[in-house]
Amino acid sequence: MVGLITDWLERVNKQTKDSISNMPSWLQAKRQAALVQMQMLNEPTRRLESWRYADLGRLLKAPSAFDSTNYGQQLNVIEGSDPVVIVVDEAGYMGMGDCPDWLEIRSLVDMHAEDWYDATFDQETVVNLANSLLLQTGGLIRIKATDKPVHIQLVYAFDELDEWRYVRNQFDLEAGANVSITEQHQSGRINAVNVYDLDSRVQLNRVQDIHLNSAEQFVSMNYFEVSKGVNVTNMNHHIGGSLQHHVHWVNFNGEGSKYKSGSINKSFDNNQITDIVNVNHNHKNNQSDITHRSIAKDKSQIYNNAKAQVAIGADQSEIEQDLKNILLSSDARIYSKPELEVYADEVIAAHGSTIGALDDTALFYLQSRGVDIEQAREIMIKSFEQEAQIC
Amino acid sequence: MLKIDHVFANAGEKEILKGLSLEVKPGEVHAIMGPNGAGKSTLGNLLAGMPYVEPQGGSVEYMGQDLLSLEPEERAAVGVFLAFQYPVEIPGVNNMYFLRTALNAQRKYRGEEPMDSAQFLRMVKQKIKDMNMRDDLLKRPVNVGFSGGEKKRNEVFQMGVLEPKLAILDETDSGLDIDALKIVADGVNQLRSPDRSFIIITHYQRLLDYIEPDFVHVLADGKIVKSGDKNLALELEEQGYGWLNN
Repeated sequence: MVGLITDWLERVNKQTKDSISNMPSWLQAKRQAALVQMQMLNEPTRRLESWRYADLGRLLKAPSAFDSTNYGQQLNVIEGSDPVVIVVDEAGYMGMGDCPDWLEIRSLVDMHAEDWYDATFDQETVVNLANSLLLQTGGLIRIKATDKPVHIQLVYAFDELDEWRYVRNQFDLEAGANVSITEQHQSGRINAVNVYDLDSRVQLNRVQDIHLNSAEQFVSMNYFEVSKGVNVTNMNHHIGGSLQHHVHWVNFNGEGSKYKSGSINKSFDNNQITDIVNVNHNHKNNQSDITHRSIAKDKSQIYNNAKAQVAIGADQSEIEQDLKNILLSSDARIYSKPELEVYADEVIAAHGSTIGALDDTALFYLQSRGVDIEQAREIMIKSFEQEAQIC
Repeated sequence: MLKIDHVFANAGEKEILKGLSLEVKPGEVHAIMGPNGAGKSTLGNLLAGMPYVEPQGGSVEYMGQDLLSLEPEERAAVGVFLAFQYPVEIPGVNNMYFLRTALNAQRKYRGEEPMDSAQFLRMVKQKIKDMNMRDDLLKRPVNVGFSGGEKKRNEVFQMGVLEPKLAILDETDSGLDIDALKIVADGVNQLRSPDRSFIIITHYQRLLDYIEPDFVHVLADGKIVKSGDKNLALELEEQGYGWLNN
């Protein structure tokens, strides 16, 4: 409809032979497979569930005047930890400092075919398939179990600001690893696919911190392959941007695991943010707990959706979906949808969604103590966000 | 200190206050009693500036100012405090932060220097000790997970920290057991001073056993229909409000 597939295919043709020929043959084969699939798919339209409330046309348009607001922003270092910083840019991964023993980093071209996680894309995820087709940078980050928790900070820092950059990060966490991973946007127009392959007993605290100015765009598809006895907390801060589109896809592949996610989505001006979490309870005795807090102002819009699918026999699954939203102006829009699709018998599930304005009584309460209306609103928004702040 | 002259006010679409007059002098404690729906809470909300309550006529003069022309936060800064009947929960914002923000906002309005963290901490710790309240109250999010009694105690504690000149207590006794009632009443009595006045809105005489009022008023159908001393509260306790219609 908007010529996206045509655009992606043209970009394939424009890619230099050198950049392709440097890739190992197995990776070239993956790209070829993506090309064949892309040619069979239809143009993405608003009929796609995950793009229903976003303007696909913005994917084509180069962002207007780049604002350097985010340059040099302070990285949010998790307190009490000393992160290994990995910068991802045109040249690939660049580690800052020495690479510790517990960490193995391989660029795309150095990856082995057997390490590659084969993500499945379809018509619904055609925009993410473009990542496999036009893949430029990224690779494998493998983390071994250690005595103490470790922390990695992955920073997107691209010089080219109006061209899409296709990045794939595959995190393999070995059994028993205890890891914090902070993924942070500094600059660039990014289409990212992140794979978190989590072996048994892994503890993962992941933070996705995407704070964009009103011209910037970021699309991400995030896979969590969860083995048995795994504990994941996934905290997402999605703020601003001409377009932010994030899909989190969680597969419980064993028993006794927990996936807990919190999302704070904040949009202003003409921003568009989509935040979707799909959790597949394929096995017994797993828990998912999704909390979204979204705030839209001016003419911006947010779509947030949490879906849990419980397979036949996945008894003792526990699911909670809590989506709350605040509209700060009459022109702002929020679409919010919790969904449960349950095929097992013994399941505990709760879901809810609300959309409203800031509570007038609470604002008055703050004012009655001397706080002016603007500060009262800020306090109320902070209070609202805190409910989704899971780590 | 406060002169309410023939005030009319609506709560939403409904006319609630219908020509209410009341004068409160510095240091006085006035109890307002009355049947359900008489307009007691509306009076408290009107004085504190709740947007839902709209004045329709009359005047309210507070320390020489037109109170009704001020924003709610300005009223707080000039010394008006409303202890809510249903205190609001604010998750994620602890009492300490909330109170310091409020106190410094009031000080800023009055042209005073802000109180730094260390000064503030010393002050609130002393206050909470003086008021026989537990100091874990300070670290907890405002009213979140508080019992009914704790919420009311927190209101009185906030009042102690903010040191208003006119405190309006809207059914602060409702839902309190006798021990909590005594703590709340002690807190109020500690704050009594020659330059601080109280309007205590209550349904029951029992609070007035602990906070002795100078005046008791009966509010019915939007205006004060009878005033007297503390013995009026005892009469109301014995006979209810029906006899006032005779």
